[in-house]
Amino acid sequence: MLVGSADIDELKKNAGTIPQFTADDIVFEDTTCFQLVAEMDNTAREALLPSALHPTIPASMVLQVFNVRTSVWGAFVLALIRVSCRSGVRARGFTLGAMVTTEKAQKGLEHVLGLSTRLAVIDMEEAYAETRISVLFSGAQVLEIQALDPEPLSTSDLQFTGTLNLANTPNGLRLVQVECIPQLMRVERLQSTFNSFQGEYWGSPLLRPTQVVTSTISRGDFLLPAIRFVCKPDELAFTGTESVK
Amino acid sequence: MKFGIFFELSTPRPFSREVEWQVYHNALEQCRLADDLGFDHVWAVEHHFLEEYSHSSAPEVFLSAVAAQTHRIRIGHGAVVCVPEMNHPVRVAERAAALDIISNGRLEVGTARSSTWTELGGFRVNPDDTKKTWDEFVRVLPKMWTQDEFSWQGKGFSMPSRNVLPKPYQDPHPPLWVTVTTPGTELDAADRGLGCLGVSAAGYEEQERRTREYHRRVQLCEPAGGFINDQVHTMNFLYCHEDFRIAREIGLPMVNAFNVANTHLYWTREAFPTRAYQTLGNAGAHMKPKKPPVDDPSVAKGLPEGVGIGDPEHLIATIKKWESVGVTGINFLLNAMEMIPNQQVMDSMKMFAREVMPKFQSPGHVSEAVFTPNRISPAGQ
Repeated sequence: MLVGSADIDELKKNAGTIPQFTADDIVFEDTTCFQLVAEMDNTAREALLPSALHPTIPASMVLQVFNVRTSVWGAFVLALIRVSCRSGVRARGFTLGAMVTTEKAQKGLEHVLGLSTRLAVIDMEEAYAETRISVLFSGAQVLEIQALDPEPLSTSDLQFTGTLNLANTPNGLRLVQVECIPQLMRVERLQSTFNSFQGEYWGSPLLRPTQVVTSTISRGDFLLPAIRFVCKPDELAFTGTESVK
Repeated sequence: MKFGIFFELSTPRPFSREVEWQVYHNALEQCRLADDLGFDHVWAVEHHFLEEYSHSSAPEVFLSAVAAQTHRIRIGHGAVVCVPEMNHPVRVAERAAALDIISNGRLEVGTARSSTWTELGGFRVNPDDTKKTWDEFVRVLPKMWTQDEFSWQGKGFSMPSRNVLPKPYQDPHPPLWVTVTTPGTELDAADRGLGCLGVSAAGYEEQERRTREYHRRVQLCEPAGGFINDQVHTMNFLYCHEDFRIAREIGLPMVNAFNVANTHLYWTREAFPTRAYQTLGNAGAHMKPKKPPVDDPSVAKGLPEGVGIGDPEHLIATIKKWESVGVTGINFLLNAMEMIPNQQVMDSMKMFAREVMPKFQSPGHVSEAVFTPNRISPAGQ
């Protein structure tokens, strides 16, 4: 059984902090979500995950870009890179790097969801037949994607798996499980290409996408329920999972 | 009730040539024993790139060895992945026919389309197309096996007129099956007159629903082949020991290890949103929360619903319950990642054959090849 081998002390350096778990759900309303799945260099398969998690075969990563028009933190754009994994038998994504456009959202995402982000300029340009996404961090182009030829899918065809954010919590350093329940109005699948991707800005230079599997753009509301479970980062989910009261 | 054994050829890490050799040869030994003990079927899956979970990428080769080393057990080539990037339909027809000849007409052919991105992506298959190509395969295979001149202009492949050779030994051809992972596939099987080969562990309630609908629908079908195969088999695990606690101690970790390895695959639905894959393959069944039935003998004893682990008395009760929901056969996984020493696996098979199987056989039952569409005498008899 494959398990992650990343140095947790290294991962901890980028961990967010949740001072106190809250009971309130978060809703990203009137939101566009671009999601891209890519296979990545297999040498990174175990190296990017803490030992609580199992990699998928082949190693793969997911980029999610949320263009949120209404939320308790106002309008913002969030881009995050997750490594696809399993927590116990559950399909999950471990967040390796994230960027956001506003300080208010940055603070909220960290304190409520344990998601550590960096401020960046994130553009999502949507045209009828094309979507372009670019992320500028400290003047450097750290990601640019062109997505073409949208093809309609049913809203039930798209699956969102839960996200795990490494964060300092009242329980200690934990993987914080963030669930995402979309209420979608529209889903399209697109053909995407990376024009630019700098893995070192997203958590590790080992993040090297080798081929895009698929990408989608969806529109609707995204409900992020209050945190219910956290997991010790160095213990398998079967025994390391804790519920949050 | 028919009983079979079912091989994924799962292989523990660290991988080595010796470990893979051992997995294959232990499985062959189990097949020879199953033949002697009166099991009805041996099935071997086709999977590619599925580290640990299944190293059974060339089942036709493994099953040729089984055919050569056994005498009466039926040989389940299943399931063949019916996408042209992995298997050209002519090659499927040719290999199956040759295996049917070598086995003296003991072949069963399962069909499937793969549910992991690990496999489909490895062969650069477009997941949107697999249901279409599977449908094309199940309609052309019987024609290739029975027509002297076959030509085809289709979506998945085309070919000019040729005589696909050899023809199978069974007349008109081996029984065809469909592996059923996703709910609804049993209806595809019924509409085409194909046997229903369950490969995910559905609970009793779900299985009963699927089986009832299958049997209703198969009566109205337009068979894709030369006859209707209306059998419904499920997959299960087997560990039989006279002491229930020992059976559970040894058998349950095997079930858990198999299920964990299963969920580590990269499911197509997760990677590639498409209408063609509506569930997370086998993982969906394990992950779906459900309320176990109160009268299930397994759950009452701390085991997953309906699992084939326990003492003979418990297994008889469990199998009777499967029988009551319309299942006509159960194919058992005997081991996972070689967690159980081979001698213990064989002891479990022997006890099952001695104590459990007779309870499901009619008086005067003689172990023989169980189903031949149009029975013909094996050569030389």
